[in-house]
Amino acid sequence: MKKKLNGILTLLLVFMVQLTFAQERTVTGTVSDSEGLPLPGVNIIIKDTNSGTQTDFDGNYTLRARAGDILVFTFVGYAKNEIAVGGARVINATLDVDAAALDEVVIQGYRSSTKEKSSIASVTITSESIENRPNANFVQTLSGQVAGLNISTSSGQPGASSNINLRGVTSINGNTQPLFIIDGIPVDEGNFRSLNPQDIASISVLKDAGATAIYGNRGANGVVIIETRQGSFNSPLKMTATSILSFNTLQDADYDLLNSQEQLELTRTFGNGRGNDLTDAEIAAAPTTDWLDVFFRTGITKNNTLSLSAGGEKSTVFTSLGFFETEGILKGSDLKRFNVRNNITGRSDDKKFTYGTNVSLNYSKSNEPNAIGGSGINQNFVLGAFQSAPYITPEDYTSGLELTQGLTFLNTPLFLMDKLMNFTRFDEELKILASANAGYKITDDFSANATLSSDYTNEVFTSADRSDSFNAILFGGGANPLAGFQAQQTRRVFTFNQVTSLNYNKTFGDHTIDAGVYTEYFKAHLRSFGYNADGIDLKTFSPGDGAGFVDDNSDNDFFTDQANATIRNAGLFSYFSQVDYDYATTYGITGTVRRDASYRFAESNRWATFYSVAARWNINNEAFMANSIFDVLKLRASYGTAGNQTISGSSYFSAPDLTRNFFGTGGGYAGQNSIFLTQIANNTLRWETVTQANIGIDFEVFNRRLRGSVDGYVKETTDLFQSTPISAINAITLLNANTGTLTNTGVDVSLKYDIIRGGQDGFNMDMFFTGNYNKQELGDIPREGGELIGTGRNGGKLFEYYTIRYAGVNPANGNLLFLTADGDVTENPNADTDRVWLDKNIFPDYNGGFGLNMSYNGFFIQTQFNYVIGVDRYDFDLSGFQSPNNIAQFRNSRDILRAWTPDNRVTDIPALRATNLAGVTSDRYLRNADFLRLRFASFGYNLPKDALDSIGIASLRLFANGENLFTLSEWRGFDAEALSNTSRIYPTPRIISVGVEIGL
Amino acid sequence: MKKVNLFYIFSLLFIAVGCNDAIEIDQPGRLDEDAAFQSVDDLQAGLFGVYNNLDITPEIAFTAVFTDELAIGFDSGGQGFQDYGFTLNAGSATPAVIWTRSYAAINAANRLIEAAEALTPEDGEQALYNNILGETYAIRAYQHFRLQSFFSTDLTDDSALGVIAVDFVPTIDQNLLRNTNAEVFALITADLDKAQSLISTQEDPTFISLDFVKALRARMAAYRQKYAVAGPLAEQLLNKYGLATQEEYEDIWFDDSNAEIIFKLERTIGDSYDQQGATGTPAGEGWLGARFAFVTRGVDGSPYFEIGRSLFNQLDTADVRYDVIVHPSSVVDPDYASGPGAEDNDILVIDKYPGSEGRPLMNDQKIFRSSEMLLILAEARADGGSFNGATNSTASLIKRMRDARFGDDTLLPVYANQTEAFADILEERRIELAYEGHRYLDLKRLGVRANQGVLKDPVDCAFNGACSLSPTDYRFTLPLPIVEFNANPGLREQQNPGY
Repeated sequence: MKKKLNGILTLLLVFMVQLTFAQERTVTGTVSDSEGLPLPGVNIIIKDTNSGTQTDFDGNYTLRARAGDILVFTFVGYAKNEIAVGGARVINATLDVDAAALDEVVIQGYRSSTKEKSSIASVTITSESIENRPNANFVQTLSGQVAGLNISTSSGQPGASSNINLRGVTSINGNTQPLFIIDGIPVDEGNFRSLNPQDIASISVLKDAGATAIYGNRGANGVVIIETRQGSFNSPLKMTATSILSFNTLQDADYDLLNSQEQLELTRTFGNGRGNDLTDAEIAAAPTTDWLDVFFRTGITKNNTLSLSAGGEKSTVFTSLGFFETEGILKGSDLKRFNVRNNITGRSDDKKFTYGTNVSLNYSKSNEPNAIGGSGINQNFVLGAFQSAPYITPEDYTSGLELTQGLTFLNTPLFLMDKLMNFTRFDEELKILASANAGYKITDDFSANATLSSDYTNEVFTSADRSDSFNAILFGGGANPLAGFQAQQTRRVFTFNQVTSLNYNKTFGDHTIDAGVYTEYFKAHLRSFGYNADGIDLKTFSPGDGAGFVDDNSDNDFFTDQANATIRNAGLFSYFSQVDYDYATTYGITGTVRRDASYRFAESNRWATFYSVAARWNINNEAFMANSIFDVLKLRASYGTAGNQTISGSSYFSAPDLTRNFFGTGGGYAGQNSIFLTQIANNTLRWETVTQANIGIDFEVFNRRLRGSVDGYVKETTDLFQSTPISAINAITLLNANTGTLTNTGVDVSLKYDIIRGGQDGFNMDMFFTGNYNKQELGDIPREGGELIGTGRNGGKLFEYYTIRYAGVNPANGNLLFLTADGDVTENPNADTDRVWLDKNIFPDYNGGFGLNMSYNGFFIQTQFNYVIGVDRYDFDLSGFQSPNNIAQFRNSRDILRAWTPDNRVTDIPALRATNLAGVTSDRYLRNADFLRLRFASFGYNLPKDALDSIGIASLRLFANGENLFTLSEWRGFDAEALSNTSRIYPTPRIISVGVEIGL
Repeated sequence: MKKVNLFYIFSLLFIAVGCNDAIEIDQPGRLDEDAAFQSVDDLQAGLFGVYNNLDITPEIAFTAVFTDELAIGFDSGGQGFQDYGFTLNAGSATPAVIWTRSYAAINAANRLIEAAEALTPEDGEQALYNNILGETYAIRAYQHFRLQSFFSTDLTDDSALGVIAVDFVPTIDQNLLRNTNAEVFALITADLDKAQSLISTQEDPTFISLDFVKALRARMAAYRQKYAVAGPLAEQLLNKYGLATQEEYEDIWFDDSNAEIIFKLERTIGDSYDQQGATGTPAGEGWLGARFAFVTRGVDGSPYFEIGRSLFNQLDTADVRYDVIVHPSSVVDPDYASGPGAEDNDILVIDKYPGSEGRPLMNDQKIFRSSEMLLILAEARADGGSFNGATNSTASLIKRMRDARFGDDTLLPVYANQTEAFADILEERRIELAYEGHRYLDLKRLGVRANQGVLKDPVDCAFNGACSLSPTDYRFTLPLPIVEFNANPGLREQQNPGY
């Protein structure tokens, strides 16, 4: 075994400082609870050292120890057990449930605590719930697992970013996503496509002000802290290889589209379109093309990860290599990724000095079709797939040139077939995340700590169109046969973050004080440049390369290239302090104050102060609770503030200096260089403040069979930064300003229940539930009547729909009917004054997940259902399928066959020639998009250990899983989940995977 | 490791990071207000910026689709159906676009005027300085007049509500109400007087000159039915510029000739309007031809709009304007009215904006041509009662126009009454100024006197029933747009009637 590894190890030496095999002997054993159930994840530490290990899925462990060492077994909710290492090589341990010994580590921003002593509202997800899932972006995996965390993904592009909201949306115009911190590195929450989810050890979601105030003007939307895997001191080399193969397919829609015969007949009925020129026999013979099959495919994903961990007396190392390759279900979209990670920790002889580094190198390349969601019939593949006329066939395609001769919308799919062949667009990303931390115990009570981290991201974005493509010939015209182009854009972002602290920790009898003072410095630099080169000579052209560029000449201006470059810098500086006091593990209070400065408000309100107070009462530790059913009962309360300085978009660099008037230079009249106004100042600019109150209960009852927590919260955002209408005489009609409030009130519930505890080889079944109810309320809207169209009204929901109500079809004439503001029926509503507030918006009222897990003798089944209630979206795809405008050139739904005629007067589809079809914007296509979805299901088998020992394998797991297997929803489109009112978007896929995980 | 050494290292980390470089950051490439206009040359660059706000795409696109210039094209993707169905309300695109862009231009002009006033030109720069200032005043006048034309119910009534007159740089909290026509026209007239005193250039086809000022005065007077003013000004310009020959006339539309052009907005490759722009909406900023076709000229250029049949039926193949308006690849079905499938069998492709400089569909925007001056003079004659006769009459002017366009001697028209004369002027304007953004305003101000309104061929409106619109319809004045009410709710009380 060792020999076989030598080759790999040699390779890995490149990344490792040292690799140590200690001189101890191996001790193995199984840890189980008092009922004989194996306990996975039990921490085993050799007393007075930092070396140790964890039990695996079957409760087994292996570590190296010396005779005389004492093994300390700890696990959340169980009493600590200490066993001395004697002569035996097998040491089995039993842990008894002990609510008074909750030692699970709770990550709290810049420090850690135990679960019992934590006063904050937070949830930690361990690697078990994340690993071996097929999503390119790990955030998608979190969906439904954390109460209050609403994650929706609106694009099926591999690695696409998701919309992440914790306890509702707290900003209208600014960043609404939580702060993400990976190993101490604050990272861009919109971009995780290059990271390997298999490296993640835990994800902690910090929810209340008690937890987030310490992040000051970055903590308003909650904080997500991600820690990657580490090795353990004094443990032998452990290797894990995982290989997963996935098949991605399009989810189902329910639009019931016409076949060619029906569509052609319809063109006759309508009196416009191809059917008018065909005989009955020709119509009967027309083939039906399903364009979904032409533009979508079954995508294959290959995901391989190899990880190694080991530790010596003074150092540990974790190394992983990942290779991930996925084909999107939409042709032309894919993602390839390569990752290397190396996490090292070390300590001095006296163990007073500790340090660690986490370095990962991530490279990805993804092909990303553009114009998705757009209406360009020659641009958006999804449009072509959904809407193209069925009687056109792929065989009708000849060449781009021929398509330009006799343009017709009917050829939409052929234009797009041409684009698929000739247009290239890809994004290459190199992302290096590196952090280093060090700590030094100055005395027994005082320690000094520092964390330095950086995120370097270099994206190179390339798009190119060949000169013989339809689009190039189309817009180049006869005058320019070389109208292809290539554009490249390089974007480099470097961020540096440094936290330095002095900490004090002291216990006097029942009193414990944990205090710290900190400074944080953050700087971010953006450098980007690029060009657009018009004119491509195909003889020497290859996408990404410039050999085929055509130079500018004196005959024309066709080949004038454009260059661009941007420099932006951003920075933050803060100092803060936190004090935590505990009395007898029964009462605790934590206070935080942070002073924060942002470069954005340099000339208006540079400094801000944020604070929080959090307290807890561990009721179960009181004497009067001695014989209660509660193993744990803890009451928490917190109140405080956090800020959002990213008030415009989610970038560090957006809106860097809105406090000033600016002019710009550039092309003016007839291309002459000119000077013009570019920005009107807002000199009252400030951060948005979120004030949050939270009350929560953590409980465990019935011998820990039922565990859970319930939290209630009120979050109020004040000084909302939003576009505020101003008179057009100012040259613009909207100016962003801090105005208005937004309140999110809600409840988070997490429950886990062990239904059957059958022991190690017996039958086990447990279920879980996470849920969030969130209510939004806008206030102090700075307009007459407290209404701001597009945003909402006082007391109403954020982005509440404001439009005319559709009231069906007039049986008399087949025209559309609407309601006036007063509720009277009309065919011709007033577009301005008949609009009403609908009390509906796109954000859910309820969302969460639940599931059932079962295991028996190595077999396991996991299920996770997600649900969302209270989402209303426009189904503009349906609008197209029901539109008479599309009859002659696109595809319709069978719905349109129900259209009003004098013989069919009572119907929901207006007459094909209804006179008021165009012109009224109404809620006709506003649809309920609530859904219940089997988000994830997994089935697998852990081979028995004795069977594996003979072949020298430590563990072997085989599994199959599926994502988005089915969805129950009234929504008729391909993906109920998308948080978008845009039609023709790229749906997220259904994924079926099979995998194997081998431990050596 | 020594304790002390580590202590130093940690202390260093505290001290080494000063905070100011993180929170006092000047982004590169920023131009402050104070530094923007420091010399007359800067003002010149500023003027090019102000000019770049001028664009008549919205009125050309809107007028064509809302009146009877267009039919839905065979390659339509549903573009413009709202306007084509006479659906016009405070939420429509056209009022918002004309309102906001006109005021943006006025705002830019006011900022330049303010900057110029704070600057003393050096020796030798006075003439340039004066020209810059004069042109800016003329632009401010032109944009106020544009707003007046579309948003005032009756330009002939000085006490009717006009638009908001803005001759200053407003603050962002200023919400103003409408001025009367008299007040707005007073501002426009004062601006034109200043322009006339400051500008030294007599003529220039692509920049504002004294002739521009004169042409604007002529048009404005005609719109206000002050024909005693309009007639002589129009006559002076007509006499100076004359009419193009047939050959020149065709070249005008390829931007190869400046014959009879008093002023046009130049559009060239690489300028900010060199793009397709949003299609099917008056909000599209881009090539003029792309308001009617997606890609290029001709039947292969994917025309989503075609020539309205009622306009086409007015065109004579011997008239050079037939060649300019109708692309030769058009498929003309003489039997269009009877057979089914008219959309496919009768394809009349607009060719007024074929493209220039090798760029399909990109053309200069003609603002003032001497032919318009001729027609203004013809109006003045009709208004004065001299509509018939071989000289100094509406009829003689119309004949002069037709002679030039047909390249041949045409019959002198004879009108039974004033209404017929106005009707013929309106018909001649419809052909001569087709797709130039005039028809909507012409119907509004002359429709009643000519007893004409929007009238589409039945084939073109069979699908939606929107065939005709009376010139007295409220929709011949645009509604104030919702986008302004959002900021300025007090203005709702002053919404135009009917909306």
